[in-house]
Amino acid sequence: MSLTHDDWTTALENGDLLGVRCSDCGATYGTPFAVCNDCGGRDLETTELPEEGEIYTETTVQVPPTGFEGPYQVGTVQLDGARVTARLEGDVEIGDRVVFDGAIDESGDIAPVFRAE
Amino acid sequence: MTRASVVGADMTTFGVHESTLSELFAEAALGAYDDAGVGPDEIDALYFGNAMGGQTENDTHLAPAVASQVGLAGVPCQRYEDACATSANAFKNAVEAVEAGIHDTVLVGGVERCTPETGLGTGEMTRIFASASDRHYEQPTGLTFPGVFALLTKRHMHEHGTTEEQLAHVAVKNHANGTRNPNAHFGKETTVEEVLDSPIVADPFHLMDCCPFSDGASAVIVTSDDRADSFDDPVDVSGVGHATDVVPLSAKPVPHATQAARDAAAQAYEQAGTSADEMAFAEVHDCFTGAEVMASEAIGFFEDGEGGPAAAEGRSSMDGDRPINPSGGLKAKGHPIGATGTAQIVELAEQLRGDTGERQIDGAEKAVAHNLGGDAATTVVSVMEVRG
Repeated sequence: MSLTHDDWTTALENGDLLGVRCSDCGATYGTPFAVCNDCGGRDLETTELPEEGEIYTETTVQVPPTGFEGPYQVGTVQLDGARVTARLEGDVEIGDRVVFDGAIDESGDIAPVFRAE
Repeated sequence: MTRASVVGADMTTFGVHESTLSELFAEAALGAYDDAGVGPDEIDALYFGNAMGGQTENDTHLAPAVASQVGLAGVPCQRYEDACATSANAFKNAVEAVEAGIHDTVLVGGVERCTPETGLGTGEMTRIFASASDRHYEQPTGLTFPGVFALLTKRHMHEHGTTEEQLAHVAVKNHANGTRNPNAHFGKETTVEEVLDSPIVADPFHLMDCCPFSDGASAVIVTSDDRADSFDDPVDVSGVGHATDVVPLSAKPVPHATQAARDAAAQAYEQAGTSADEMAFAEVHDCFTGAEVMASEAIGFFEDGEGGPAAAEGRSSMDGDRPINPSGGLKAKGHPIGATGTAQIVELAEQLRGDTGERQIDGAEKAVAHNLGGDAATTVVSVMEVRG
């Protein structure tokens, strides 16, 4: 078994952002998968994702679910070939450069945070 | 080629209902029985959709419950859950079952209650809706469903120049259409200014870019091609495409392309031997205005990037060249999650029979329905036509 959610979470708690890279086709993902969705390969190596990237898309949630205090910004960050969905700090826009800045666990579950460079 | 026929169709009003899920479903199901001129003794199976009853009302194992309410105890009953595409997937499986000769005539439908009649407020319902986003890699960020579609729409705006004003035109158009639908949750018109002045939920979406929380049910009777002529007013199902995209959102190569919709539409048109250009209108899944823009491109009504301008130019209005959501869509008709997919089939059936009064698309021969679930990772596209 390659990277598990537990591994991903533990790494994030320790300040490391992990993803997986397919040994067969080179596709990279910001979350674990048992099988590569590009080529069907099962050899997905754990890889440390770059800590600097670019905002691919973003929004500011004004009406949060129970368990969260709004408003806050959420988006997906392009990190070379992979993307991750993260909490964003610094009122960033699509194309802005951002850096990995730890994690939040507002709901009891952990999520990565990126902030404006 | 005819895969199956819809021979009865009905829905409740979409809005606020005090009745139980089973009672609400029965209202639509009995209407569908009466429309088809059948009783429960002629129904061989139930294909039922409900997305969230377990979370909202502590109510699961609903297929036997609703079946018992409408006299179907004894026949095989199955329940589907595919987020907002719940009852379209029930419909797909029903069409396949009668086409394969497993059953002759079946009842298909869905029900949901999402309003505060459930006892749940906006924050709690927002949390329950968000359960259809990725549990481990999206929910912990606080992403909501308006947020999911905001992420798709903002990238679409970035790539194609789609504007908030163009999005507002979708809401204006669907509210206008909804005034002509007696089953619609909202029965009043709005303006671009009202949409843009309404509070922001998740940018670029204002409150008036978002569909409401609704209660409601819908149901259709589906029979085989061989049996269709024994009913008074059959409408043919000639294609049902169904595709699934990768989740979470971060793994989608081009999230705003809504690839599952493109794949499902291609399948449906191919099965039916037709194309988008032959469709008299579409019912699409406009949970948010941006979702309609993306859907209108994915089903081939407009070129990529043209969905926004087309809405602003009135091309998707009732009198435009590519009408979309004559029912008012999810935006104005309402969106009781598990009832939405078959409610689109009800609209197609009634339009193709010429029974929709002042919102009738004159001379409609073929039409398409697009129902998505989650971040559009599940999409079912159905083509129906006047029986030849």
